[in-house]
Amino acid sequence: MAFERPDLIPVLPEIFVVTMACVVLLVDVYQRQSNRMLTYLLSQATLVGGLILTLSLHTSAPEYTFGDTFVKDTMSDVLKGFIYLSAFVVFLYSRRYLQERGQLTGEFFVLGLFAVLGMMVMVSAHSLLLVYLGLELLSLCLYAMVALNRDSKTSAEAAMKYFVLGALASGMLLYGMSLFYGVTGSLDSRAISTAVTMGVGNEIVLKLGLVFIVIGLAFKLGSVPFHMWVPDVYHGSPTNITLFIGTVPKIAAFGMTIRLLVDTAAAMHVDWQQMLIILAMLSIAVGNVVAIAQTNIKRMLAYSTISHMGFLLLGVLSGSADGYSSAMFYTLVYAIMGLGGFGMILLLSRAGFEAENLEDFKGLNERSPWMAFMMLLLMFSMAGVPPTVGFFAKLSVLQAAVRADLIWLAVFAVVFSVVGAFYYLRVVKLMYFDKPVDVQPIVCGMDMRVALSINGTAVLLLGMFPGTLMALCHTAFN
Amino acid sequence: MEPVQFVFYAFATVLVLASLAVITARNPVYSVLFLVLAFFTSAAIWLLLEAEFLAITLVLVYVGAVMVLFLFVVMMLDINLDQLREGFAKYLPVGALVGFIILVQMVIVLGPEQFGLDRVADPVKHGPDYSNTKELGNVLYTDYVFPFELASVILLVAIVAAIALTLRRRPENKAMNAADQIKVKRAERIKLIAMAPEKDEPAEG
Amino acid sequence: MLALSDFLILGAILFCISIAGIFLNRKNVIILLMAIELMLLSVNMNFIAFSHYLGDTGGQVFVFFILTVAAAEAAIGLAILVVLFRNRGTINVSDLDTLKG
Repeated sequence: MAFERPDLIPVLPEIFVVTMACVVLLVDVYQRQSNRMLTYLLSQATLVGGLILTLSLHTSAPEYTFGDTFVKDTMSDVLKGFIYLSAFVVFLYSRRYLQERGQLTGEFFVLGLFAVLGMMVMVSAHSLLLVYLGLELLSLCLYAMVALNRDSKTSAEAAMKYFVLGALASGMLLYGMSLFYGVTGSLDSRAISTAVTMGVGNEIVLKLGLVFIVIGLAFKLGSVPFHMWVPDVYHGSPTNITLFIGTVPKIAAFGMTIRLLVDTAAAMHVDWQQMLIILAMLSIAVGNVVAIAQTNIKRMLAYSTISHMGFLLLGVLSGSADGYSSAMFYTLVYAIMGLGGFGMILLLSRAGFEAENLEDFKGLNERSPWMAFMMLLLMFSMAGVPPTVGFFAKLSVLQAAVRADLIWLAVFAVVFSVVGAFYYLRVVKLMYFDKPVDVQPIVCGMDMRVALSINGTAVLLLGMFPGTLMALCHTAFN
Repeated sequence: MEPVQFVFYAFATVLVLASLAVITARNPVYSVLFLVLAFFTSAAIWLLLEAEFLAITLVLVYVGAVMVLFLFVVMMLDINLDQLREGFAKYLPVGALVGFIILVQMVIVLGPEQFGLDRVADPVKHGPDYSNTKELGNVLYTDYVFPFELASVILLVAIVAAIALTLRRRPENKAMNAADQIKVKRAERIKLIAMAPEKDEPAEG
Repeated sequence: MLALSDFLILGAILFCISIAGIFLNRKNVIILLMAIELMLLSVNMNFIAFSHYLGDTGGQVFVFFILTVAAAEAAIGLAILVVLFRNRGTINVSDLDTLKG
């Protein structure tokens, strides 16, 4: 039997991350210090090393390996770069929070690294099998991470809900994949795409398969009407896990959406466009309206995430290279804003106290004017106020929708984002015009203070100079 | 009716009835046992499809390991059965109706119209020297080596997660640490105290 | 002679039973987990049937991986269930109402 040894160079970053994750797992067992310094530093080194490897291996032409099932192109490299960076920031923000609660265990870092590996596979998958395996690797790590705080009733409950709905979504996705396999006779994205374009086989069966795949994707992205788990999981998880779930997997989910809908089923664009329009409209409307009624800031940000996912879908559904690159820009910007927003909650929390409620942000300006200013920038960016980057992200997505002759949809989105601006600005009002309820001084390490400041100013700087990032997203699809 | 058809319909009937019993049984233990029956009958149906390796894997891995794990958990947890059945009867008509409508729609799409014998011919059966295991093994370690390695990582994650979630160090646990025991020095265990010699007092009579 | 549609319809019946099971047993997490196993079984049935009629091993390999992942998933799901039961003394989902809003 002829078997060509696959080229391993394109998967070097994956091999590096999995090796290092195993090293971290072993090192952690022999570690005596309670602050887990070595585990922490090794995990961060893994992410930095992965970033360097991915950057140095980058080529502008896409490379395929393992018999066409794994692809390394500009999109996957950029998304991977942001996955490392976001995971780095998540680990950095989480350390103090976990240490104060006595929950700093090696498992958090190990599972986090394996989740990063799952996401890397998701964005590079060029076959249905790899999409599924990457997704499951990510999901299994996330279910366990939510429940990692074993003595909390709410985390166990959140983990159970997340698990049941996540497994249901995987089942739906798989059923759709099985129909695609049955009609086209292949698991390869390229082969399926060719078969679909040629019109081989039964169109109606493919459409049924597509329905199941889109439902599965919608569950994973958390868009309405498959969003039930999002607020409960964000609320119930320990805040550092919420920070993780709310940011990094969204980058991978975007990658997976592109791999499944564009790389595999581009010829069925008309069909999935209609489904995504419904999902996007409902997500933008429900997310923005329900967020207003929330008093818990984690729940509020959960509904805000739902509306952001609606905007992301708005970019994808326009079905042009412009649309995809604007959706990619939106995803990356959302990840930056989400890191900052949830990071602020971590900053204000301390041992025995969770700054989960909107009231805890009252009078932040008196307690720390600089941090209040950072939060102001983040909230403005999420609301889409110029000159922050959130404005440009929304603008580019809306432009893509208009170019796809979906003007009414763009108007709809603008109306609801104006409604949504209310609850972001309410946070700003609480910070600047109300008396503080919580008067304890804010204690945090220098690393977190610096990182949060960079995170906050990045939103402003990227807003003033969006060109580089925008161009990067552009090259990914051209 | 041909024998192969008879075998298929017999097993398919048992499979459908067993799966219905899984979701309607009063006691979760019965549900688990019906699920075991469902897996056994599916394995038999997979044999009809010449997927011998997967059929035996389903029995060994699923019935042998996963379902036993389910049984352990069901029996370990003290579950209040009546409470869990609340609302079942209320939702039954709606649930059955929704399930039936979805089924009718799916059958229209997947039925004989699309995948009947006239559309997809029955493939030629393999000869007696054909080995399904060998064929799967050939591709598993070559074409699918990357997914294979990923699956091993997934199993590692399952191990790490299951241990991290359920292993508890109990304070009443009296395990000994051999290393600590060996490291003990004489000075830590025996203390010599300098004291004045004592004289035995003569017993008083 | 058996047609491909026979196996696909059997898969569809299993799929719908599992959907109905999830709908009916919303309070009982352990049955929910079993309904999800049934759903995976229906997917596996589809893949194996397609694989046989297409004469392609890809579908069988996919089932191999689904079985592996499902075993890992069951282990983690049951671990979470045990944690939940230890904390709350129930697996009744309707009692899980700490999170609402």
